[in-house]
Amino acid sequence: MALLTVRNVETYYGPIMAIRGVSLAVEDGSIVAVLGANGAGKTTVLKTVCGAMDPRKGTVDFDGTDITGLDPDRVARLGIGHVPEGREVFPFLTVEENLVVGAFSRKRADFSDDLQMVYGYFPALADRRRQPAGYLSGGEQQMLAIGRALMLRPKLMLLDEPSLGLAPTLAQEIATIVGRLRAERRMAILLVEQNARMALDVSDYGYVMETGRIVMEDTCERLKNAADIQEFYLGMKDRGVRGRRRWKQRKTWR
Amino acid sequence: MEAAQDMAMNENHTAIDGCVTVSALFRKRVAELGESKVALREKDLGIWNEYTWADYGAHARLAGMGLLALGLNRGDICSVAAETVKEWLFADLGIICVGGVSNGVYPTDSSSQVEYLINDSGTRFYFAEDEEQLDKVLAVRERTPTLEKIIIFDMEGLRDLDDPMCISFEELQRIGRDYGAEHPDSWDREIDRAAPDDLMILTYTSGTTGPPKGAMISQGNVMFMMAAMMGSYTVFDSDEQLGFLPLAHVAGRVFYTFLGMTAASVVNLVESPETLVQDLQEVSPTVHFAVPRVWEKQFSAVRIMLKESTALGRFAYNVAMAAGARRARYLKENRPVPLPLRLAFFCLERLVLKNVRRMLGIDSCRWLSTAAAPIAPDLIDWYWALGKPMYEVYGQTECSGIATANLPGDFRIGSVGKPTPGTEVVLSADNEILIRSPGVIQGYWNKPEQTADTFVQGWLHTGDVGRIDDDGFIYLIDRMKDIIITAGGKNITPSEIENQLKFSPYITDAVVVGDRRPYLTCLVMIDQENVTRFAQDNDVPFTTYTSLCHTREVEDLIGTEIEEVNTRFARVETIKQFRLIDQLLDPEDDELTPTQKLKRKVVNEKYSDLIDSMYQSA
Repeated sequence: MALLTVRNVETYYGPIMAIRGVSLAVEDGSIVAVLGANGAGKTTVLKTVCGAMDPRKGTVDFDGTDITGLDPDRVARLGIGHVPEGREVFPFLTVEENLVVGAFSRKRADFSDDLQMVYGYFPALADRRRQPAGYLSGGEQQMLAIGRALMLRPKLMLLDEPSLGLAPTLAQEIATIVGRLRAERRMAILLVEQNARMALDVSDYGYVMETGRIVMEDTCERLKNAADIQEFYLGMKDRGVRGRRRWKQRKTWR
Repeated sequence: MEAAQDMAMNENHTAIDGCVTVSALFRKRVAELGESKVALREKDLGIWNEYTWADYGAHARLAGMGLLALGLNRGDICSVAAETVKEWLFADLGIICVGGVSNGVYPTDSSSQVEYLINDSGTRFYFAEDEEQLDKVLAVRERTPTLEKIIIFDMEGLRDLDDPMCISFEELQRIGRDYGAEHPDSWDREIDRAAPDDLMILTYTSGTTGPPKGAMISQGNVMFMMAAMMGSYTVFDSDEQLGFLPLAHVAGRVFYTFLGMTAASVVNLVESPETLVQDLQEVSPTVHFAVPRVWEKQFSAVRIMLKESTALGRFAYNVAMAAGARRARYLKENRPVPLPLRLAFFCLERLVLKNVRRMLGIDSCRWLSTAAAPIAPDLIDWYWALGKPMYEVYGQTECSGIATANLPGDFRIGSVGKPTPGTEVVLSADNEILIRSPGVIQGYWNKPEQTADTFVQGWLHTGDVGRIDDDGFIYLIDRMKDIIITAGGKNITPSEIENQLKFSPYITDAVVVGDRRPYLTCLVMIDQENVTRFAQDNDVPFTTYTSLCHTREVEDLIGTEIEEVNTRFARVETIKQFRLIDQLLDPEDDELTPTQKLKRKVVNEKYSDLIDSMYQSA
């Protein structure tokens, strides 16, 4: 039994069906990547899992309980930490206050160790603990957002585009942290990324979404070698007879 | 509204409005209709642009003159690889009018197929739609010695292209304009030189045995075909067609290029194959020819829509269709419809059926026509109940189009009708359909052996097995070589079973197997949209197409559909085992024809392991 099981989920924005029947699973302690172009429905999948959006159809099971339609705070209490796209830190609260907010479900006495743990992963945050979070750089804000989710001691972390807008070295640093979190804390991670190379390097298993549906799934090793992934996600395209080729092969997802 | 073509047929040639060649007829249409009438519309970025006969004529003329300037001689082969776009028609008539031979290449053909077609036909001039089509030729041009020039319709992304072999269509037309200024008479001279026996187009037929063969269709073949079609159906100059079938296929060519010209009706070209459904609604054609796959999709769409509609909606639909079916029974027997039924249908049609038809885009159609593949009679009945007459016709590339047709007032559902005027159809001793008419072509390009096998003493051997009833209606049974003889010695016509299977909204296509085997089995290609809906409605988790095919529920679903079909057949004709094709196929795959039918032979070879597995369990 997987830690997270999403079955046949359909989620709407008003009349628009953003997810058109998605099923996926995240095993305990694994990193699973969801790839896809803009508007494919990746973020909506995460929002549906964390309870920010309710699916009109389908179920979400976490750790043996049905969490479909639960409010986001209840879902968080059960052990799902969500790092939203664009970080969404509280700009007027200090770094430490932001982290404390992340531990909203727990007693103050319990989480001082966790603060140290977060500062252990992200020393940069420790230096700036008293500063308002709005003054942090993009990379630091991303660390803070991850740190805030860690304060829950989640069993599963939902990571939405952690490398968005970051310099390549920072993106690499985030990727390293993601790997460490899994190795050291046996945390499962559902990772949504546009940076396919990074996502495939760090994850065990991947799903590819297109217009609200999953079109391909496999281990990341095999995904990296699939022709469509190479052309459409890794930018490795055959340059064709004229030394340049603008048109795209038809996708077959095989 | 006018359908007053003056037609005359004699032993040597067919004349339409005094013209015995397509070239001359085109010139006449352009001269008489000029700016006064729209010939083509093409949707571009959502807007329907209009082209009058004068535009059509001018574009074709410039293209033709451009080819003359490049050194085209009468009888030279020009190939065109493009979707159904206006430039295809411009180039086609340009080529034909200056005496070239125009050959269609499917835009889905692969590089190696392009290489074969160029070499087999000896193409000198190659028209490529865009960058993608261009790259396919460039990749093989080292091995195509006859190829001289590549002309590109759409130069998007090719601004820096610097290759002496390639020019844009605009450039060709510019050269043509200059040439025309120096040789003002050459256009008319070439048109006047055309004779009915001149080879006009090559149409490659997908060879199920061996490589594709180029059917040699002459000017006179097409003129005969036009006269036969106009004699069978009324097509007015006010009629609108939707152009969406590939022009490399004889049906697309005959309906859009030649019938449009003969009837002076309007052809509306879709924006892309993907926008067919919406474009059909917008154009709402008055006459509509399509292949069974298109009709099957419409039927599935309505079935699925009903599932999602209210109980009242379903009730209304069922009542209306029941009345429609009762009315259709009278029409089919050519009996007057009783007044109460006529009244009931009148009301239900306005309340219910019109809406369904409008959604499908067929509400304005005077008639619907289907051919090119077998169709389930139940599906034709469905359109009749909906209030639209659908006529099945039959023909082959080798007879330049249609040979038999069901006609208004003279039709029988399930049959392919009676021979069209000027066509003779008989059965050979082993029930093969033989056709003789002025539409039957001279043979296959550079293939004397196959020509001699297929055309015997003026009779076209179609390879189709059929029967003729007492009233002269012809029924197709199957392709001769497709007939299955089971290990038990029983003759089985797979297409009959496959048609019933395809009638299920969950099955797009199926191939029945069982030649020299103890029982029948089949491979099924599921309808992605509808099966996905089924899985969603029944909480069957799946991720990709492959995983969808492997769920037990979907296998059970298809199993139930097959069981349902089995009840309609004798015991020996029932399907005992089946497998799903778990890859999503597209027309670029070998398994599918450009019209997205499964190719029996390829499927049998490619999935031989899967097929064998169905015979091991026993």
